[in-house]
Amino acid sequence: MELDTLKDAFDRVVKRQKLSSFRSQEIVDQVGHEIEQALAKIKAINDPLSPVHLKSILSELKLKLNTVGPLNLLEGLQKERNINLSKYPKLLEKSFSPDISKAYRDVDFDFHLVNQIVANHFYQQGLFDLGDCLIDEAGEPEAIAIRSHFLEMYQVLEALKVKNLGPALNWITLNREKLNQNGSMLELKLHRLQFVEIVKKGTKADALSYARTHLAPFASLHMNEFQKLVVCIIWVGKLDSCPHAELMAPTHWEEFTQEIIKQFCSLVGQSYWSPLSVAIAAGIEGLPTLLKLANVMAAKRQEWQEMKQLPVPVELGKELQFHSIFVCPVSRDQGSEENPPMLMPCQHVLCNQSIMKLSKNTSRTFKCPYCPTEASAAQCRQLHF
Amino acid sequence: MEIDPLPNGTGSTAATTTTETTVTATLPTAVSNTTPSSKLSQLTESLKLEHQFLRVPFEHYKKTIRANHRTAEKEVSSVISSVADVADSNEISKDDAVLSLTSLVSRLQGLKRKLEEGSRTENLQVQNCRARLDHLESVDAENLSEWNNVRFKRILVDYMLRMSYYDTARKLAESSKIEELVDLEVFQEAKKAVDALKNQEVGPALAWCAENKSRLKKSKSKFEFQLRLQEFIELVRAENYMRAILYARRYLAPWGATHLKELQLVMTTLAFRSNTECTKYKVLFEPKQWDFLVDQFKQEFYKLHGMTLEPLLNIYLQAGLSALKTPYCFEDDCTKEDPLSQENFRKLAMPLPYSKQHHSKLVCYITKELMDTENPPQVLPNGYVYSTKALKEMAEKNNGKITCPRTGLVCNYSDLVKAYIS
Repeated sequence: MELDTLKDAFDRVVKRQKLSSFRSQEIVDQVGHEIEQALAKIKAINDPLSPVHLKSILSELKLKLNTVGPLNLLEGLQKERNINLSKYPKLLEKSFSPDISKAYRDVDFDFHLVNQIVANHFYQQGLFDLGDCLIDEAGEPEAIAIRSHFLEMYQVLEALKVKNLGPALNWITLNREKLNQNGSMLELKLHRLQFVEIVKKGTKADALSYARTHLAPFASLHMNEFQKLVVCIIWVGKLDSCPHAELMAPTHWEEFTQEIIKQFCSLVGQSYWSPLSVAIAAGIEGLPTLLKLANVMAAKRQEWQEMKQLPVPVELGKELQFHSIFVCPVSRDQGSEENPPMLMPCQHVLCNQSIMKLSKNTSRTFKCPYCPTEASAAQCRQLHF
Repeated sequence: MEIDPLPNGTGSTAATTTTETTVTATLPTAVSNTTPSSKLSQLTESLKLEHQFLRVPFEHYKKTIRANHRTAEKEVSSVISSVADVADSNEISKDDAVLSLTSLVSRLQGLKRKLEEGSRTENLQVQNCRARLDHLESVDAENLSEWNNVRFKRILVDYMLRMSYYDTARKLAESSKIEELVDLEVFQEAKKAVDALKNQEVGPALAWCAENKSRLKKSKSKFEFQLRLQEFIELVRAENYMRAILYARRYLAPWGATHLKELQLVMTTLAFRSNTECTKYKVLFEPKQWDFLVDQFKQEFYKLHGMTLEPLLNIYLQAGLSALKTPYCFEDDCTKEDPLSQENFRKLAMPLPYSKQHHSKLVCYITKELMDTENPPQVLPNGYVYSTKALKEMAEKNNGKITCPRTGLVCNYSDLVKAYIS
């Protein structure tokens, strides 16, 4: 599909249309002109009107208009226009998939669920106004929990933008245990940021007291980090010569923001990326394949509607892979609890059923389909992805 | 996993509203990708999905052209027959003739002004068409993430317009500055008819049918008939039997030739009362019929304007859910990053088919990254598998020791065995 071709075709259509429009106006002008001429003639008559003279002018006008035939001309123009205007849509249909709703399945697709998903998406993006507007217009029940979670998060983020770590500190303190369970160093990072700000703008005394109060608790677990930070006190006022200048970099604020978002979402059971945007991204990647499939199955609408599994794979980008899927290279079956993937001594992996088949369910050895190594079923061990 | 840390769009999505609850920091919306070349080829494929995007403004342009033509035709026709009248009248004075002709001239001048106005409207629509073509052309490797973001918003606005959530649609379009790329104006035409139908009035919908008479006829639409039937039923409901019969004679009879069965069914309601228990006719009196008319109107409207019959959001969502759907998504420990870990998404995905894989795709439990030939899977003595990257990192931090995060088993990095999976 060449966009240049489309643009050229469109320009041609518009040019012709402009011409056509101009000619329509010319026809209207012509009619007006004829009437004006007749009008002038009538006004120019001097004698107390002999009806015959007046009548002849009028008849002449009527005849003239009949001859010109403006209605026919206009009709002709419109027919030409229709032909002109029909070319571009045909080109569009050729260059694009003319009907992507062919890939839509006519199944129970509850729009209430979709509304709620979209509203939650807006809340996750911090667009509270928009989310509320949607809930209102759609008449959906309010998503109180999710909204308040994200509202809290955005309040923390807003404060961070002006380097106010207060709300963040509150939240981190409240959720300290869970954060530690996740192995997050968020609290240390927060104090580090605050400390760096003091080192940049405050006195040595301030920095020292802050280090004593807030950084010391982390000393035992993160001695390296702690040492680096404390050393910076010496360079308060002369930060250009500080050997740990990278600690002063403003990028740490951005990193911290991203980390706090991640942890926040994780703790309230949400994903970092808006799930709606992930699903749509998958849809955009997958729709071309599904359309091809729908076209191929056009005659088998019933089968299309009721299929339990897609007959063709849909390739998705690696950031859209959330689960390990093992496909046995021999049977093309997917690994499952009943049919787990097994590692053979030659380091190749087959599904259990394939191994059973190859060994004919005995303890006899069989040859790996990939390399000439022989193995027995007992030598294979189950893998857990 | 590559994270796109930029706020979406121009950061103006939330900044423009005045309440204190909106905040300028935003989470990433669209997932960005790391391999430019495969992305671009995928992009070309995905551009082909944008038929509606270009078709709608063009159909709108055609409509304006047709309307301008009809205006010209009507007025010129009227002027010409007035001239004929004046010319044919027997007793007309000079003054009267002058008066008539002068008024005709001014009518034509009025027409000219209208046509010029119409021309200006046509130009605006041409600009809109061109703007959209330019928008499709504008996407490249650098602005891909941004462009995808805009596409996502277009899809959302389309959904809201179709569901009649006009305020939300407009707010989103305005705050993202994508008014040119969405069809707010076109849907304003639908709004009148939809609102009226929701109020149980057929007026605007009938007007719309009249406006688009020839195209509806071409597609053999029976929508006007359905509107008329509903009006008839309302007359029967109000027990205005005489009026109902007159109405039927005038408006329903012409459709008898092609839709006799339906006509008969509805006419029979004359014999019943609106609170009849007879199921066949009871259903015709239910208020649900009005909802059905709203849906019908929308379908006809979409067809005429070059839009898909289903909201874009639903189409993409179904495709995405199916592509993502695996049996693992429904397990309790499904990662939160998978949309199908959420109840709403699971419910929507229920009737949709599972995805299929032809090749193994393995995700490291620790890093969530793909385990492929560059980052091969390694097997612990207990059969648990993790990526080489994760295990190397762990070993470096722990004197060459590996601890399985799921079972707690400790072993050496040297005890690991590489697995070869195609």
